[in-house]
Amino acid sequence: MDILFSVISVQTFWKISVFLHFAVAVALLAAITLQAAAVLLPAPQVAGGPVGPFGPLLSAPSATLIVILYVVQVLLGAWLYIKYRTYVRIPMEGLRHWWSVGAFEFKEHTITMGLALLPAYWYFWRDPASQQYATIRKWVTVFLLFTVWYGVAVGHVVNDFRGVGS
Amino acid sequence: MTQALDISERVAYREEQRIPAATQARTATSTGKLEMFVVTFGIAFAIIYTLFERWNWPLFTYHPAVNRFDLFRVVGIPEDGPPMFWYGWLVLSAIAATPVAAVATALPRQSLQRATVFFCVLAALWPIFYAAGLYTDEVATFNAPFLRSVWASGVPALAGAIAAAWLVSAERAERLWTSWLMIMPIGGLIILGYSLLDFFER
Repeated sequence: MDILFSVISVQTFWKISVFLHFAVAVALLAAITLQAAAVLLPAPQVAGGPVGPFGPLLSAPSATLIVILYVVQVLLGAWLYIKYRTYVRIPMEGLRHWWSVGAFEFKEHTITMGLALLPAYWYFWRDPASQQYATIRKWVTVFLLFTVWYGVAVGHVVNDFRGVGS
Repeated sequence: MTQALDISERVAYREEQRIPAATQARTATSTGKLEMFVVTFGIAFAIIYTLFERWNWPLFTYHPAVNRFDLFRVVGIPEDGPPMFWYGWLVLSAIAATPVAAVATALPRQSLQRATVFFCVLAALWPIFYAAGLYTDEVATFNAPFLRSVWASGVPALAGAIAAAWLVSAERAERLWTSWLMIMPIGGLIILGYSLLDFFER
């Protein structure tokens, strides 16, 4: 780390980390939102699989990509959480922004629950054409959608309090 | 000679039929075990994480201000800055849920589905009875401190879970099985969210 900090300042390092977290969030948000839209809106089916604008998202590789993005995002978030705990939350409590603190605490739990469901989510998407798991596949996807949207919304609020560009 | 060739061909045909069937059976078994693992892992993780967070049982505590890890729960001195438990809850929940899911793969499918009903109903009823006990003790005119005991509420919860696992039909247990994957994380979030109410009421 010392070598890194001789090249860039500590503040720039954390800004780059927050930006990376944001960039992965955007990718994950787009992927999971489109996939959830695809499972919630019935798409026309042909012999080769579903067609339409969301067709390619109803596939096992897209689910694997979402799993990878989710895990990378959790690791980045866990890394930034250190900075949040010391640099953001303490002044947040000092200024009595209790709603933001509580919302972020809840974000920890929603993301954890999403993480717990990732293996099952990946498994149910191995064969997207299977009708056996159609219902649970849909609801697990919607649950992950909720966790990602909630995480992004709260992360944005916290960033606005003390982050990049605030 | 013709007959011998005939038999030999028939045997070869049977062998060809048998090998894919055996491979298919092995694939189906491993897929079934993987399914049992991932479903049980998701359910167990959600329950265990909720418990560890509520009991505040992290595997380790991290003190970011001084960059120090301590085993289990260590609040530390004020000079150490704020302690972080989330990593410890997360890792301990994963460590605990993995063997639970591994054991699940060794069970017959029907037994696993019945066991899932038992543990999920127990996990759902216990906080319900506990909350009911607290409420009753608060509004009752008589003094009943035992209602505030977490163990006292465990007794009716255990009875309810045994009854549910006993009475549920195999078909219903199978239909419910994957649904627990949604019920348990949402239930966990309700409990964890309720515990944060203090932040929103200040």
